[in-house]
Amino acid sequence: MSEKQGNVNMIKDILKSRNLLSYLLVLALFLTMISMTGCGKKDHPTTGQKKLNIVTTLFPLYDFTRNIVGDNAQVTLLLPPGMEPHSFEPKPGDMLRINNADLFIYTGKFMEPWVEGILKGLDSKKLVIVDTSRGITLNEEKEDEKDQDHAHGHGKTDPHIWLDLSNAQKIVDNILEGVIQKDVANRDYYSKNAETYKVNLNGMDAKYRETFSTCKRRIFIHGGHFAFNYLAKRYNLQYIAAYHGSPDAEPTPKRLIELKNMLKQYDIKYIYYEELILPRVSEVISRETGATMLKLHGAHNVSKEDMDKGITFLSLMEENLKNLKVGLECQ
Amino acid sequence: MDILDFLSHGFVQKALIAGSFIAVLCSTLGVFLVLRRLSLIGDGLAHVTFGSIAVGLFFKSSPVYVAVPIVMLSSLGILKLVEKARLYGDAAIGIASSLGIAAGVLLASVAGGFNVDLFSYLFGNILSISIEEVIASIVLSIILITVIFLFYQELLSVTFDEESAKASGVNTKKINSILVLLTALTVVLAMKMVGIMLVSALLIIPSVTALQMARSFKSTMFIAAITGVLSVLLGICISFAADLPTGATIVLLNILFFIAAFIYKTLR
Amino acid sequence: MSVEVVSADGLAFQYNAVDVLTDISFDLSEGGYIGLVGPNGSGKTTLIKLLLGFYKPTNGIVKLFGFDPADFQDWHKIGYLPQKIVSFNPNFPATVKEIVALGLVSRKKLPKRPGRADKLAVGHAMELMDIMDIKNELIGELSGGQQQRALIAKAIVSEPELLILDEPTTAVDPETREKFFSLLKELNGQKRVTIIIITHDTGTIGKYASKLLYLDKKIIFYGSFEAFCVSSEMSDYFGEYSQHLICHRHDTANN
Repeated sequence: MSEKQGNVNMIKDILKSRNLLSYLLVLALFLTMISMTGCGKKDHPTTGQKKLNIVTTLFPLYDFTRNIVGDNAQVTLLLPPGMEPHSFEPKPGDMLRINNADLFIYTGKFMEPWVEGILKGLDSKKLVIVDTSRGITLNEEKEDEKDQDHAHGHGKTDPHIWLDLSNAQKIVDNILEGVIQKDVANRDYYSKNAETYKVNLNGMDAKYRETFSTCKRRIFIHGGHFAFNYLAKRYNLQYIAAYHGSPDAEPTPKRLIELKNMLKQYDIKYIYYEELILPRVSEVISRETGATMLKLHGAHNVSKEDMDKGITFLSLMEENLKNLKVGLECQ
Repeated sequence: MDILDFLSHGFVQKALIAGSFIAVLCSTLGVFLVLRRLSLIGDGLAHVTFGSIAVGLFFKSSPVYVAVPIVMLSSLGILKLVEKARLYGDAAIGIASSLGIAAGVLLASVAGGFNVDLFSYLFGNILSISIEEVIASIVLSIILITVIFLFYQELLSVTFDEESAKASGVNTKKINSILVLLTALTVVLAMKMVGIMLVSALLIIPSVTALQMARSFKSTMFIAAITGVLSVLLGICISFAADLPTGATIVLLNILFFIAAFIYKTLR
Repeated sequence: MSVEVVSADGLAFQYNAVDVLTDISFDLSEGGYIGLVGPNGSGKTTLIKLLLGFYKPTNGIVKLFGFDPADFQDWHKIGYLPQKIVSFNPNFPATVKEIVALGLVSRKKLPKRPGRADKLAVGHAMELMDIMDIKNELIGELSGGQQQRALIAKAIVSEPELLILDEPTTAVDPETREKFFSLLKELNGQKRVTIIIITHDTGTIGKYASKLLYLDKKIIFYGSFEAFCVSSEMSDYFGEYSQHLICHRHDTANN
C-alpha cells in the first residue's frame, strides 16, 4: 500500500489507543488548572505603584529600601519567597525586571556572584546599580582561632554582612545614596526615613549588646550554614556552624560528632537551625544530645507565610535575639 | 577517636542499619532493572518524586504521603508507555523524569515559594535518618524479599524472555507491575533517606559489578546485594576516618568495586 | 470426539491495516507433526503468536486445546521455543540449569517452591539434550548449538503435549540437528507429542514432519509431503521447476 495510506493508518492507530490519549489529556487539563490558580498571583512581592521602579535581591535589602522610599517607589524582591538564596539563578523574567528598573540593589559580589555576569547583558541607560557592600569590611569564612581544624585558609569570603547591625546601617546609607541619585527632588523625605530606620537598627544593636553582656555561655552552635559570624564577632560570641559552604554540601560524620562533642564539652543545651531548609542536621543533634532546637533566621529570604504576615527585618532580628538569649542563657 | 566511640552515636548506627537495608533493596531490584534496560528508572522516578513532593506541598499536605501514590502510578505509566507507545525503557523513563522535574519547578513557581526549599528534598542525607525511616526500610526489605521468594521463577522468566514467559502462562503484566511498583516505593523511601545521588548509584552500580563476576543468576543477586551493603558500611566508616561526605564516598566505593570486578573479569 | 490440539477457522490478522494473515483454517490433532513453512514475512511467526494468545485475531477463531488462548490455563502442556535471534540476551547471567528450570514455571502454583520432582525433571531434560556437562556454565558463554540445546531442553522439561518450535535448527551443527530431529521423532512417535515446527527449509522438513503447512499470508497448501510434490496449487505458486527441485532434493536426501 502507499506510504500515505500507511501514515493515515498510523494516526488511526494512535487515536485508537484511547487509553494513552485520555491519560495525556487528563494530565494536560490538570496542569492547565494548576497554572490557572496561579494567575493573578504575584510571585514577586512588590510594594507601591508610583514613580521609581526598584529591584532588590535579598529580603533585608527589600525591607530597608521600602522603609526608605515609603510610597514613592515600587520595590520588588527578586528572590521568590521560600527560595533558598544560595542556589538562586536569575530567570529571563528576572533579567527583564532588572533591565526595566530604575534602581537595582544587590548585597555584594560574594552573595550574588551571578550579578557580575548579567551586568554585561544589561543595556539600560537609566539603571543605577547599588552594591550595598561598598565600604564594608568583609571577613573570611573562618571560625574562631580556637577552632583551627576548620579554619578555611583558602580565603572564602563570608557574604552575610547584613547580620551585623552596624553593617546594616552602612547598607542603608548605600541604598539611600542610590535612591537620591534617581530622585533628587525627594531627598529630604528619603533622608529622614533612612535616619529613622537607622535609629531603629541602632536601638536593636544596643538591645543585643545589653542582652549579651550577662550571658552564661558565649558560644552558640548552628546546624545550618556559616551565616552568623558577623553577628557573633560584633558581640564577642563564638559561633560554630555545621556547614561551611552553601547548605547543599553535606557535613561529614566527623563534623557531626565534633558538634555533638562540643555541645557536651561546653555544656550547651540548645542547637540552632536555619530557615527555609529541612533542619536535618539540627534534628539529628537534638535527638542524640537532648538539646532543644531553636530557630536562627538568617534573613536572606522569608517564607510566603511570613511575607503575607508582614514580617520585617527588625522583627526577625528580634526573634533571633529572643532565641539567642535563651540559648546563651542570658539574664 | 576510636571506632567504638564512632559506633556509639545514634546517627551512625541508624545510617549503618538503614543504609544496609536500602542497599539490599536497591541492589537486588537493580539486577532485574538493569537486565530489562530500565537502569535509569531510579533516576527518573526520583525526579517524579520531586514533582510529587511539590504537589504535596502545593496542597499543603504531607509531601511523602502524596508522593508515594503518584510515583507508583508513574512507574505503571512508564510501563504503559513502553507497551503502547512502543518505546524502549530509557525513552519512557526520560519522559516521566522530565515531567516530574518540570511539574515540580512549575508548581514551585506558581505557588510563589514553599515553606521549605523544595530542592532540599532531593538531597536526603544518610546521616540524618530517623527511627521511623529505619523501620520503614526494614519493612520494605522484608516485603521485597518475600516477593522475590514467592515469585522468583516468574521474575527470572520475564527478565530472561518476556515472550517465553507469556507462553508459560506467566502473567507478565502483573510481574512487571510488581517490579516497578516495588521500585517506586524503594525510590521514594530511599530518596528521603539518602538522596537522589545514592539512590541512582545503588540501583545500578552493584548489579553491574555483580554481572562482571556472576556465575549464575542466584549468585548475581547475592553479589549485588553484598556489594551494595559493603559499600554502605565501608563508605560510612571511611567517610568518618577521612572526613569526607558520606554519600559521595559510598558512590565512589561502588565505582571502585566495579572497576575491581571488571579487572578481575578481564584477567580471568 | 477428541479435542483438536490446535484449530483455526477463518483466522485473520491485520497490523496497521496491512493484511498479515487471511482466512487461515486448519486443524491439528493429537500426535500431529506439522512443518510450518513459507517465505520470509509470510506470517508464520504471527500465526504462532495468535495461537499462543500474544495477539488477538482481527477476524476468525483460533483454539488451543479447545480453548480461546486468552482463557487457556494449562500452559505446562505447551513447550515453546521462540526464534533465537529475537529473544535472546547473550550476556544473561544465568546457568544452563537455571534456564532449563524456567521451563517449569508453567507448572508452578503459588507458593510452592521447586521440589525434588522438579529437580529430577530438569536433570532428565538436560540428559536428553546432552547438556549435563555444561549445566553450570553461563548460557552466554556457550556455542550457538549448545545454547539452542539448552533452550530446547527448557521447552521440553515440563513434558508438554504440544511443542512449538520457531526455527530451532538455524545456527546448529548437523550432528545436533540429527539428534534433535530423532528426539522429536521419539517424542512424537512414542509419547504422542504434537509438534509444530517453523522452518524456511521446505525440502528437509518433509523428511520429518508428517504434514506440511505452506503459508504465504494464506494457506497455499496443507497436506503430506508427497501430496505437496504433485500438488497443482504448489505448481502454480512455485512454478513447476522449483517444486521439482525441492522434491528432488528431498528424494536425493532420502536415497
